[in-house]
Amino acid sequence: MMRPALSEHLPFVGALAAALVASAALIVWGDEYAVSIGLTLLMWVALVQSWAAFSGLSGYISLGHAVFYGVGAYVMVVGWQILPVWLGVILAGLVAGAIALLLGWPSLRVRGPYFVILTFGLAEFVKYIVVSIEAALGRSGRLLIGTPSLRELFGAMLLLAVASTIILYVLRRSRLGSGLLAVREDEIAAEAIGINTARTKLLVFGLSAIIPGMVGALMSLRFTYFEPMQSFSPVTSFTIVTIAVLGGSDDVPGPLLGAAFLVALSELLWARAPELYMIILGVLLVSFVLFAPEGIYGKLRSWNRGEAQ
Amino acid sequence: MSVLLSGQLLAAALVLAALYALVAMGLNLVYGTMRLLNIAHGELVMLGGYITYWSFTSLGISPLLSMLVAPAVGAGLGVLIYIVLFRRLLRSPKLAARVEANSLLIFFGVSVIFQNVMALFFTSTQRGYVYLDQVIQIGNVAMTANRLILFGVATSACLSCLAFFKYSRAGSAVRAVIQQRDAAALVGVDIDRLNILVFALGFALAALAGVLVSMVQEITPFVGFPFTISAFVIITLGGLGNLFGSLLGALLLAAVEVYGTAVISSSFRSILVYGVFIAVLLIKPQGLLGRAVAAK
Amino acid sequence: MKKILLAAALAALLPQASWAEDPIKIGYAISKTGPFAPAAQTQINAYQLWADKVAAEGGIDVGGVKRPVQFVVYDDQSDFGKAPAIYEKLITSDKVDLLLAPWGTPFHFSIVGILEKYHFPVVGNSAASTTIRDVKPGNIWFTTSAIPDHLATELVKMMKSAGVKTIAINTLQLPFSQEFKKFLMPAIEKDGSFKVVVNEEYAPDTKDMTATLTKIKQAAPDAILSLSYPPDSVLFMKQERELGVNSSFQLVLIGPTDNFFSKIFGPNLDGIITMGHWSPAQAKWPKAKPFYDAYFKKFNEPPDYLDSALAWMSIEVLEQAVKKVGLDKDKLRQEIASDTFDTINGPVKFNGVENVTTPTMYLQFQKGEAQIIWPASEETAKMIKKPAWSQN
Repeated sequence: MMRPALSEHLPFVGALAAALVASAALIVWGDEYAVSIGLTLLMWVALVQSWAAFSGLSGYISLGHAVFYGVGAYVMVVGWQILPVWLGVILAGLVAGAIALLLGWPSLRVRGPYFVILTFGLAEFVKYIVVSIEAALGRSGRLLIGTPSLRELFGAMLLLAVASTIILYVLRRSRLGSGLLAVREDEIAAEAIGINTARTKLLVFGLSAIIPGMVGALMSLRFTYFEPMQSFSPVTSFTIVTIAVLGGSDDVPGPLLGAAFLVALSELLWARAPELYMIILGVLLVSFVLFAPEGIYGKLRSWNRGEAQ
Repeated sequence: MSVLLSGQLLAAALVLAALYALVAMGLNLVYGTMRLLNIAHGELVMLGGYITYWSFTSLGISPLLSMLVAPAVGAGLGVLIYIVLFRRLLRSPKLAARVEANSLLIFFGVSVIFQNVMALFFTSTQRGYVYLDQVIQIGNVAMTANRLILFGVATSACLSCLAFFKYSRAGSAVRAVIQQRDAAALVGVDIDRLNILVFALGFALAALAGVLVSMVQEITPFVGFPFTISAFVIITLGGLGNLFGSLLGALLLAAVEVYGTAVISSSFRSILVYGVFIAVLLIKPQGLLGRAVAAK
Repeated sequence: MKKILLAAALAALLPQASWAEDPIKIGYAISKTGPFAPAAQTQINAYQLWADKVAAEGGIDVGGVKRPVQFVVYDDQSDFGKAPAIYEKLITSDKVDLLLAPWGTPFHFSIVGILEKYHFPVVGNSAASTTIRDVKPGNIWFTTSAIPDHLATELVKMMKSAGVKTIAINTLQLPFSQEFKKFLMPAIEKDGSFKVVVNEEYAPDTKDMTATLTKIKQAAPDAILSLSYPPDSVLFMKQERELGVNSSFQLVLIGPTDNFFSKIFGPNLDGIITMGHWSPAQAKWPKAKPFYDAYFKKFNEPPDYLDSALAWMSIEVLEQAVKKVGLDKDKLRQEIASDTFDTINGPVKFNGVENVTTPTMYLQFQKGEAQIIWPASEETAKMIKKPAWSQN
């Protein structure tokens, strides 16, 4: 098989470089508020790209990804002032990945809608366990004092967003990724042609948890306050899925577009009409599912193809 | 321990089970026949609650009357939502191929819309009213009148539904579709009309549950979600599409909630509930009683 | 175009018109939507009430000059992650002159970093945790005296003086109630004269308390303490009534100060003790009753005896400080940290971040009104025994 020309990857690398330049400019010249918006955007990008690496490609919709985010946050706050920050972040990612392997091993045998509600149940299960642990430790919310600056966190989150994007990009074009796509198409057939679906799913599921864990750790530094009911909130899981629907979860630009769209919409509306923002979001979600199921990215691609003809 | 054997605990469990069963039945119907994951189900409960609250406090209409009005409104909404949103979903082969995921997302959007529309109109302040809350003593069991009514209405509604599905023509058609969708279409069941019926009934049951809920607890625009979760846990336990199973599931969940906390500390309640839920999904995903809903 | 430039130049040369002073901007974020919105409502109302008052009076007194006020209000969507970003926006982008506090302990804590970064002083209100003492003083102060450790020691004293011997405790696993319990248990042990006969905890979203209440009923304690948040406080009290769990000393930690409880429980609320340190019945505080009346007039219901009062107090502190020293942040900081302020809750003076003049008190509902029953020096009425639940 011919090696794909390097030039095929140029658009992707180019876009990545442009994003890095834009981020650098933001750090240097942006005001605090702009940087915080940037941080939020990068956070969602990192979360959704990681989610899409598993759920987008395999079709197994995880509605409990908040659990990895929460676990990462918990590792960070527990290790606060015991571990150096960078170690805490890495550990957060690894623990989240380990939890994913642990939870995934029995769960990935379950298919379709069962898997969806199972992931939700698992996230809530872990959440209440952490609530109990904190209660047993006599802890009622944890306050972190002396956390890194906004721009430092922005830089770290940028790394995660870039990493998650590269991972999805590479995965999608790799053999492992093809295995997942085959599972999405027809799992039984995939098994029949010799793909070890169980291992493929588990591996990528574990992988898809690492960056969300690190994101959770970083955000706990941003919020400086940890409370399990909030950090494991199902809203995070639902927002990830919403962004994936809006933007498309098939390839790299999808989550990026979805996250940008959501953050832009949010900024536009929450200041002036907060309830309206949520209502509009709901309407958009419904409309996209019915009329643009491949998301913004999918629509853009089909228009492109239409034009090319 | 005498606490465990007390009639009071049993009564509490039965009342909770009746409410859960009512909420779960509507959800199970929609899922069983159409495989749509209605995570907006709890919002219909919330709506039923607000209709009752508003009727009672602003118009002086008794909640007993709302038990007829709210389900009618719920049914109407159900039909509307089906025709506007879901017909399209089910008729498009591309969308129908991933019907569970897509319905989940649509219903999620619907629930967000409902919650925030209510928050806009009613504000998020908790609402409550007092109705028939005299405490009635039966032997050594004490229960407020409205909880007894809740038990009575919920149980009758569930049993009527079961009877309807077992003995009526329309009900048999629904059961046929649950078991074998394509075959049912072949023998001439009008799937579209049936879907409308199911949506109307499912939403009506949820709204009725909402009326009952509003009598015994305060409501806010966000009160629906925990009911949705409980309903999903129940229909998973009982088997997706298995209507009788959801009664058992409701009993089980209520028992865990009421008795579980007597045996071990109350703080582990949620862990216990989700733990059982996960265990069932992993070990016997068809539910404790369920026969497998026709696989894709 | 030229004409406009000319007009502008003339306007610039004319002496400052004195018919309109520059407005000052006051900003805050609060939970207008989301799960905390119901709880934050009473604070939002207090802020609104003040906005009305300020508008009616043409502004607030800034260092001797009256200036109109422009409010910049954002919704934090019950997400304390959003609060820092919003406050940063208020400071850097909207360029507000003054800030009011958000609702709730986590929200107060989440903005501390921002306030320190910009050296922007804020008078906090609805936050209560011993963790406030970990916060470096200078940019935020807390008007509340209902801090868990004080609350615990006072509760023990109060129970002792009421002759309580046996206690049942039911605690919700959320921060404030847990923190309260953390200080309560050692205080009870230290005293040595009490026996805790039931000690249960429960997770949020619990739907039924029959088992715990049956245990409590069987134990028949002298005092029942429900360390709960509003939704479960309602559930607890309703099921207590249903099961006929009576005791003459009953504490329901959070909730009863909200009018919702009076609406639902009516006379059954009488005798319930709850945390709070404000009552319109306190004659020592002449501004208390007028606040109650003004709030009632606007909202058709009494203020929340805790949150609305706290919010108003923080506003009073700010207003008085600004009147004295104007808008300069350093001067404000100095002023707030050192002066004594006259509020609807009596005098307020801070030591570090904490309000040290207002004693920790407890309220009890009597004939539908909140009375201060502890300590004796502040009481507006004597503590009564809680009558048995009326089951009809």
